[in-house]
Amino acid sequence: MSHGKRHFDLGKGTPEAARADMNEELAFHVDERVRWLVARGWTPEAARDEAMRRVAKSEGMLVDSAVRKTSKLATREWLRDAADDVRYALRGLRRQPGFTLVAILTIAFGIGANTAMYSAIDALLLRALPFPEPGRLMDVVQTTDNNATQPWSYPKYRFYQENQRSFRSLALYSSTQAILTGNDPERMAVEEVTAPYLSTLGVNVAIGRDLPTSLGDAPGAARVALISDALWRRRFAADPGIVGRSISIDNTPWEVAGVLPPGFQGLSGRAEVLLNLTSRNADDLNQEWSLEFSLVGRLNEGVAATTATREAELIGPRIYDAFPMKEGLLSTSERPQAWSATARSLDTIRAAPALRRSLLVLFGAVGLVLLIACVNLANLLVARALTRRREIAVRLAVGARRGRLVRLLITESLTLAVLGGIASLGVAWLGVRLIAGLNPSEVLRVQGLEGGIGAVGLEQTFLDSRALFFTLVVTLGVGLVFGLFPALRATRSDLVTDLKAGTRGGGQSRGLNTSRRALVVTEVALAVVLLTASGLMIRSLSRLLGVDPGFDSRNVLTLRLTVPEGNFAPDSMPGFYEQVQETIAAIPGVEHVGLSDCPPLNNGCNGTILTFADRPQTAAGNAMVGVHWASPDWFRTMRVPLKRGRLFTDDDRLGGPRVVLINEAAARQFFPGEDPIGKRVAVYQGGFDKGAEIIGIVGDVRYGTIDSTARPDAYISYSQARIPRMMIFVRTTGDPSALAGTVREAIRRVAPTMPVYDVRPMSTRVAAARGQAQFSAVVLGLFAAVALTLAVMGIYGVMSFAVAQRTQEIGVRMALGAARRSVLLLIMRDTAWLAGSGLTIGVVAALAFGRVLRSMLFEVSPADPITFVGIVLILAATALLAGWIPALRAARVNPAGALQGG
Amino acid sequence: MPPTLPLLKGTLDVLVLKALTWEPMHGFEITTWLEAQSRGSLDVDEGALYHALHRLEERGFIGSEWRLTENNRRARYYKLLPAGRTHLRTEGANLERYARALTTILGVKPS
Repeated sequence: MSHGKRHFDLGKGTPEAARADMNEELAFHVDERVRWLVARGWTPEAARDEAMRRVAKSEGMLVDSAVRKTSKLATREWLRDAADDVRYALRGLRRQPGFTLVAILTIAFGIGANTAMYSAIDALLLRALPFPEPGRLMDVVQTTDNNATQPWSYPKYRFYQENQRSFRSLALYSSTQAILTGNDPERMAVEEVTAPYLSTLGVNVAIGRDLPTSLGDAPGAARVALISDALWRRRFAADPGIVGRSISIDNTPWEVAGVLPPGFQGLSGRAEVLLNLTSRNADDLNQEWSLEFSLVGRLNEGVAATTATREAELIGPRIYDAFPMKEGLLSTSERPQAWSATARSLDTIRAAPALRRSLLVLFGAVGLVLLIACVNLANLLVARALTRRREIAVRLAVGARRGRLVRLLITESLTLAVLGGIASLGVAWLGVRLIAGLNPSEVLRVQGLEGGIGAVGLEQTFLDSRALFFTLVVTLGVGLVFGLFPALRATRSDLVTDLKAGTRGGGQSRGLNTSRRALVVTEVALAVVLLTASGLMIRSLSRLLGVDPGFDSRNVLTLRLTVPEGNFAPDSMPGFYEQVQETIAAIPGVEHVGLSDCPPLNNGCNGTILTFADRPQTAAGNAMVGVHWASPDWFRTMRVPLKRGRLFTDDDRLGGPRVVLINEAAARQFFPGEDPIGKRVAVYQGGFDKGAEIIGIVGDVRYGTIDSTARPDAYISYSQARIPRMMIFVRTTGDPSALAGTVREAIRRVAPTMPVYDVRPMSTRVAAARGQAQFSAVVLGLFAAVALTLAVMGIYGVMSFAVAQRTQEIGVRMALGAARRSVLLLIMRDTAWLAGSGLTIGVVAALAFGRVLRSMLFEVSPADPITFVGIVLILAATALLAGWIPALRAARVNPAGALQGG
Repeated sequence: MPPTLPLLKGTLDVLVLKALTWEPMHGFEITTWLEAQSRGSLDVDEGALYHALHRLEERGFIGSEWRLTENNRRARYYKLLPAGRTHLRTEGANLERYARALTTILGVKPS
């Protein structure tokens, strides 16, 4: 090729060939030496002996050196050819800057988005858990016959612990909230844990010591805590003297044993303090059916995970036998019959299932975009190859090997891919920053976040060597995928035709054109899949936006206020809250102030069993209701309508007759054809198990998720029960956020030691509940737009090219009297055929893909006919438009010019 | 006949390049050419020769190909490449200067 000093034996380059060559060379040398010696009077035998002797001593060394030399030369030649090819490719790309730029940007976006998505998946699903020997860590849970998992109570855990042999250590933990009391009270996430928590996970304290094992298993142990590095720096100025000192949590003194290493905040990923769980008193901790703890264990040396699982399944039923369930103990909707237990790798529960699903769907979508981009690039390259067919044919004619040409063309596509891959790192960097900033509980439905280890989260998304390796592999893959096909097609040349081909450089390249058409069909089909997916998500989103959650979220400010335990006698609490309400109500711009213990769209609230005074009491007859504590004004504040009866009044207070409100769902379900008003029911919470009278029916409010219909609910007046944690709802005349500071200030005047937190408009809570659908719809919509653009570009390119190629034919037809209209039809029919094939294949593929989406959709079938028909129409219209311009060009062909030009 | 001389390190490469300035040769031809030009005072060891040829080929100074000899036998012929010619010029000149210096010093008679 371009360099002159090529070795005149290219050699086969293999070690075997090198060895054979060397041996042959030496044999020849020996023969020559013999001939030479014989000519000088040696006997043939003596001559051969002498010649052999001279060669034999270095034969082995020479064979080795020959092999070395050959492989070095082969490598060098390969590299030199590759460098030539790259130079050649770069020259070619520079000559077509428009094409090059479009191609690089397409690849950069495609690969960058994939790398970012991969990084998220790596952080959430793939990367090893940040603990030593993470494979030895297991999550142990109770299971029930309805396939649910249940947490542990302390006595049940103790039973399991005493009967198991698989685990070296086991630790209970549970995530909760507490208030760091003192001058500047702060509410924070904490974990209650048993002493071996850190040693089980393999985490060491940074300062001080771990929770001492001397705390033992008995309830009522000393109050010892570990604090997070973040809290230590924020609240204690990173003072090492904190160890051994006492801090006040919920008005109780706790001794700080040590500080956690930076970045570790418990398995919840949020805990600021780890509290010694066994410090609870015996009455509290020995509740057999107080199921509140998770259990993590580290396997013994040499014990397989499957052994631990089998063992847990054997111990499980015995736990239930040891602690049988009593009536009314459990506030779940169903009461399971058979209980057992199982152990599973901690890794399997690392990500919440909904999050895992969304990520995988988005990863699939972003992969499809890349595939479409590849198809488009293949298309562009085939077009380029068409224009270069003469050049390729000439090269083949003068003896270039086909393999060498394929390599040249693939080098070109790889060069493009690598340039795009480098540019993609910028896109990936932006994408990763975007993802790491996402708060899954805002972006995703809260419901989806059940399960999962908070210690593994999207905020751990970053570009690392694994992501870069992923980029490299994808880049090379992309280069091969969109380069190989055109290269193979272009070099399968019919020499004669191509050399004879006219100046247009195309000639009779029907085969190549067929492959371009196949690529366009593929592109349209892939676009259908992406467009329907995003169409379904958008339909689902509009359904969600149309849902009436049962209250008016506009102009409502919500905030939480928690009374630390021990601050008040429980009986004086309603009085305190009244004072708070009055203070807030006095603020100008405030219309109503209401209190409730649990906000709507909270992924469910507290619930219990409901029984009816006038019906026989059977286990099967027990109904489940959600229980809410509310102030009389809460219903006006949230604009929850009263359907019948009356609301609470200020006269419904502690000591008076107990009254409850129920929602319409409860009225429908429990009192079909009856008037519930005046009926007496027992609600097994807040002392209402002694019976209460139903005084009214209010509208349904969605407490779970926005896409689940309201369940039966009962409301208890907050002044008739004791509850330390209330949420304040403020209806304002203007923008609720504007009043946030004033409301906070007002509360501080009344209750300076109580932390106010979680201050936000109700509308943002609703938006968060709709977040996942919104997020997925927006991202999928973006991908779909890209796919649509690429598909349109593909159709336009192919049709333009086809018209250009057929100019002569069209000219002849028109000279023979064909009408312009029929020429237009000819081209449009062709376009329609391409688009139609793509659409048909695409719809079939989309129907198959839709099943994956089912769980992400709300009130929309994955085969929703409106979406499918709409998408097909949109795509068909765009495709025909893309064909229309070239068709018009064809119809304007000047017959005389076309015939001469040919 | 005086005993043959062992080759000084590094000189063989230059001598081989020099031999190939006449025409492409196979290994045995190079041996005999060197022996003949030195009037029998150099004995070229086979191991050293072929090792030098590999080295020179690796460095791009010579190329090789299989050809038929006059007797119709296949033999590997070595050919000087432009880079080898340049190398020979500089290294050859160095060696010559070195040899001259040696001769001068060793030729000095005690006065």
